Amino acid sequence: MMPDIQQVGPAQTQQWAPEISAPVVLLENVSKTYGKIHALSEITLALSGGVTGILGMNGAGKSTLFNLLMGKLKPSSGSIKLFGTDPWKNPAPYARIGFVPEHEKMHDWMTAHSFVSLFARLNGLTRDEAKVEADRVLDFVGLTDVAHKQIGRYSKGMRQRVKIAHALVNDPDLIVLDEPLQGCDPLARTTIMNVIRELGKMGRTVLVSSHILHEIERITEQIVILHNGRLLALGNLHAIREKMDNIPHTISIGCENPKELAKDIINNDAVFGISFPSNDNLQVQTHNLNEVHKELPSLIVANGHIVNSIDNPDDDLGSILNYLTGGLN
Amino acid sequence: MISPPKKDNVFRALDRKLGAVAEFTMRQYRTKLSTWVVLGIGFIAISIVVLFYVDSMQQEIEAIDNDGDSYDWDGDGYPTGQERIYGTDPDNPDSNPGTFTPPIAPDPPEKWINEDDFDWDLYATGDTTAGYDDDGDCRLADSTESQKDKNRNNVNCDIILDYSVIRGEWNEPQSDGFVDEDPDEDKYGKEAIHRAFLLAIGKMGFVFLLGIFLPLFLATGLIREEMENSTMHFMIAKPIARRDIFLGRIVGYLGIVWPYIIAMGVLVGLISGFAGPSSGFFRFADLGMWMAIIFATMLATLVYGMLFCALGTLWKRGIVLALPFAAWELGMAIVSFNAPSASILRFSVIGWSLNIIDAAALVVWPNMSLFINMGLWGGGHNTGGYWDNSIEGAGALSAFASDTGLGISPIATIVVSTVVLLFQAIILWIIGSAVFKGKEIE
Repeated sequence: MMPDIQQVGPAQTQQWAPEISAPVVLLENVSKTYGKIHALSEITLALSGGVTGILGMNGAGKSTLFNLLMGKLKPSSGSIKLFGTDPWKNPAPYARIGFVPEHEKMHDWMTAHSFVSLFARLNGLTRDEAKVEADRVLDFVGLTDVAHKQIGRYSKGMRQRVKIAHALVNDPDLIVLDEPLQGCDPLARTTIMNVIRELGKMGRTVLVSSHILHEIERITEQIVILHNGRLLALGNLHAIREKMDNIPHTISIGCENPKELAKDIINNDAVFGISFPSNDNLQVQTHNLNEVHKELPSLIVANGHIVNSIDNPDDDLGSILNYLTGGLN
Repeated sequence: MISPPKKDNVFRALDRKLGAVAEFTMRQYRTKLSTWVVLGIGFIAISIVVLFYVDSMQQEIEAIDNDGDSYDWDGDGYPTGQERIYGTDPDNPDSNPGTFTPPIAPDPPEKWINEDDFDWDLYATGDTTAGYDDDGDCRLADSTESQKDKNRNNVNCDIILDYSVIRGEWNEPQSDGFVDEDPDEDKYGKEAIHRAFLLAIGKMGFVFLLGIFLPLFLATGLIREEMENSTMHFMIAKPIARRDIFLGRIVGYLGIVWPYIIAMGVLVGLISGFAGPSSGFFRFADLGMWMAIIFATMLATLVYGMLFCALGTLWKRGIVLALPFAAWELGMAIVSFNAPSASILRFSVIGWSLNIIDAAALVVWPNMSLFINMGLWGGGHNTGGYWDNSIEGAGALSAFASDTGLGISPIATIVVSTVVLLFQAIILWIIGSAVFKGKEIE
């Protein structure tokens, strides 16, 4: 590939200032192709403020989208603007952006504190300022007491939190997290989710990608759904949910006496079918998920049923995608 | 507690982005086994050569009696040289200085070996006549005038030194008989071997071996390995231009390689300073040579570092691209020994680096070419011709010493070569960062 000579110019990082009126993230007709493969096609998106979940199956284009945002890839066509500036041409906007990459590889030989403070200096901090900043962000993600241990000896969840801490240096306005919950244990998930929610409350623009609906649901309602490189849906998760409520759903209830529970549930108008897959399990078919979920707790308590679990096995990204694409995939 | 903001001076500014990348790179090198293996192999390779050198400095070079006047042909106890001076017959046992009144004691034969050394202290640049008949066997009373001025320059008992400007070297010295004909082989040989060693290890050991192989193994992966390991994401996602990342990585690499080169130079310099021939306990005179060797190697590692890092950025198997360059540079190094003024050397890095060492040698050891020429002539006693009588070490020194080839003064050569090497480094930095800028990182 020919080097892009035009990009070699004087450093522009010093004079850079964000455009006041520009959205934090703006993509216009952005496509990224590798030969004949369309990793992303014609994405147009503007985001400012709040937490946005980027949902999509593996290979839907989430990472490609993030790599384009982070200036690692050059769009095949269309334009990307971060705070009004093209990140491929000018890395200056990254002064106000924190990025948590998906890759598991880290500099394992460094301590969390030295990793965060050293990379904080790339934001233009001096050694002393960077140390103070590292203390602050490591405290924010709850790693203060292990900050001087080598990253190589951290658990998966701790490593993710180090990455998040490193992204929070200099208090960025936009934080991009690529699959931050992948591979974490439940406790780490909760911690990371809390951190992300808190950032949203602080008024930051947060982009977080996942292929698991429930993870995103616990963090935010504002979602973008990518599918096969296309933008499938954009908006409020509840709104999508409500539309989907009118199609048949299954609720799986683990309980001690399924037959007794079934007698009580069948009276609900929204339920149109019940089956017993095993001795301690009951499956309820409904076309109004909300209605059933509203009635279920009082019904269980009133009749003294012993219930171990309530699941919506088809209430995942797959079924949303199925619904949105009209079952075409 | 927040300290009041300090004014940004140069050091505080460097402490930011570029300094952070450089510091990160140095700390990363320290954790890698490959770094220590490469530096260790470099140390071993240089050490082996140094051991050979120290060994040769310990061994006495056999003294040769070129004019054969230490031998007592008539068996009267007086060496031929002594008998000649006193005018007695070296072939008649009854004719010897012991018959004089008062009688003169016989000299030990060793006194008549290496008794007529080269007379460097009498030579000044531009002289055409040199030499002094230390043992007096040219100035003998019974010699005829034509014997005393065999080279017919109307100066008795001298040597004609004739520098050929066209050939750029000395013509064979024309000596009157028995002038400077029995030089001190050990003294000359040690000095020649010492100088040859400094030039050889400086050019091949430091500039070529360390100068190419350290960057080949340490700089090729500077950007590439980070891209392959997916750890480049952390750096790319910061407000720092890729050109500055490239430079910062190179500075970090130099932060490891330059102190290593300086340490190696000081170490080998100290060893050769103590082991080499000197009037005192240490050869302080070589200081300039070692400064030049270290300086030239530092510049070479800078230019090759930029080059190999750019090649590594360009292609996953950058080392495959780098090897032809290393081979080319080896070829140019060989060319520079035989044809230092060949213009093809201008298209290499090593040609310019070696220029610095050659130029320094001319400054530190003036009359180097005369020194070599006299050693090759070796007293001219043998009848076989120019080369037959060469003193040990003269041939080696002749092989490793070369002119700077630029046709300008040594100091100007050093300045020009330095500027050219820095220019090469800057061009390669611009090319390397352009390649890096255009790279998409997965």
